Amino acid sequence: MRNHRQSEPDRLRRDARIAGLRDFQTPSLEAVEQRRRQLWQRTATALAVIAAVVVAFAIIPSNRLQEAGTGRILFVIVGVGGGLFLWAFHKETALERLTRSLTDERVLTAALTNRLHEVSLLLDAGKQMNAHLQMDELLDTILRSACELLDATGGSVMLVEETDLVTVCALGRDAAVGQRMRLGEGVAGYVAIRRDPVLIDGHADPDLFPGLVLREPYVESAMSVPLVHRAELQGVLNVNAPIGRSFTEYDLRALAVFAEQAALAVANARLYEAERAHVAALLDLRKKREAG
Amino acid sequence: MVVHHRPRVLIVEDDPDTLVILRINLTAAGVEPMLAGDGRTAIERIEAESPDAVLLDVLLPGIDGWQVLEQLHAKGDPVPVIVCSGKDNMHDLQRARDLGAVAYLVKPFDIDRLIEVTSEVVGLRLTDPVTERGTVAGTELA
Repeated sequence: MRNHRQSEPDRLRRDARIAGLRDFQTPSLEAVEQRRRQLWQRTATALAVIAAVVVAFAIIPSNRLQEAGTGRILFVIVGVGGGLFLWAFHKETALERLTRSLTDERVLTAALTNRLHEVSLLLDAGKQMNAHLQMDELLDTILRSACELLDATGGSVMLVEETDLVTVCALGRDAAVGQRMRLGEGVAGYVAIRRDPVLIDGHADPDLFPGLVLREPYVESAMSVPLVHRAELQGVLNVNAPIGRSFTEYDLRALAVFAEQAALAVANARLYEAERAHVAALLDLRKKREAG
Repeated sequence: MVVHHRPRVLIVEDDPDTLVILRINLTAAGVEPMLAGDGRTAIERIEAESPDAVLLDVLLPGIDGWQVLEQLHAKGDPVPVIVCSGKDNMHDLQRARDLGAVAYLVKPFDIDRLIEVTSEVVGLRLTDPVTERGTVAGTELA
């Protein structure tokens, strides 16, 4: 029975030793496959030789087989063949375990690499967004970064203005800029009220999204996420998938994480705009006082 | 010599931390874990290595967990699947049931409960291979 308390590297080394992989320092699936081919080539060759010897014995005239020792030799040869097969099978079992363990390690490495890639993309997007305080530049950066992150072809950013959502930036459908819809209307309005990300695959249901306006060109797959900072709704970010591709829940989660950073950047830009407007008003007042 | 067959469970999960945690805990519970970080790898490993059960996260890059479940269902693959999802709603629960999943666990799950359900699913499969698909669901999906 295998010792389950062995650590993963110990188990790998043990299986590698059994399988005949010497100097097994760097685990590699390719080395295991090579060893497997080598093992079965050698085993097949040895078994072919044994089979040839057995056949040779079979075609020898039967009276000669009666001679003392011939049957015993045949028995030993067949025994060696069986033993060889069992030996190869034992090695194959170890190779199978190695393949499984190495595949697991490869899966873990790939998962870590993917996660690092995602984090790095989000970090880059965060840096780019935080580099802007001018609202129009920021919104353009948000939309482009979101599309880049999700391989989307277009989308829009809508900001809250009193009880409306206003499209302030769009990619792929410039005519949308300036359009208004009431909170609660359509997909974006639903997202704004519920503050829940929504994934649309195929036709959106007008019963679920009252006030839904079907747009041209038709979008097969789209996502809408709320931009919320400190419990305050800033707007909604929408992205559209290219033709033939559908977004998944996985993409929706990535966009929702991205939207958290985007919402913070929008809140900062709004604060900056408000401060600038405040300063401009004070300067204006001072000018008027000096003039008067 | 008595050969102890450790049930093999394929963990399909994209989060590396969860993969490692589940691997450690399932190994300690006497299960031989196998790993897949995406739907494509999961399907390949299920076809090639026929695990005794699959712990399937629905949020996966590329082919997601639902698509994996749909493919297995369409092929009539008898491997019992335990669906792990962050959504606690009847729609997803029903969807999992319709696609032949034997259990539905809501994330964040209690690791003891997960091991309990996994052991039950694997144990039933090993001792009673003719158990009708879906009846194990009584633990979670009934």
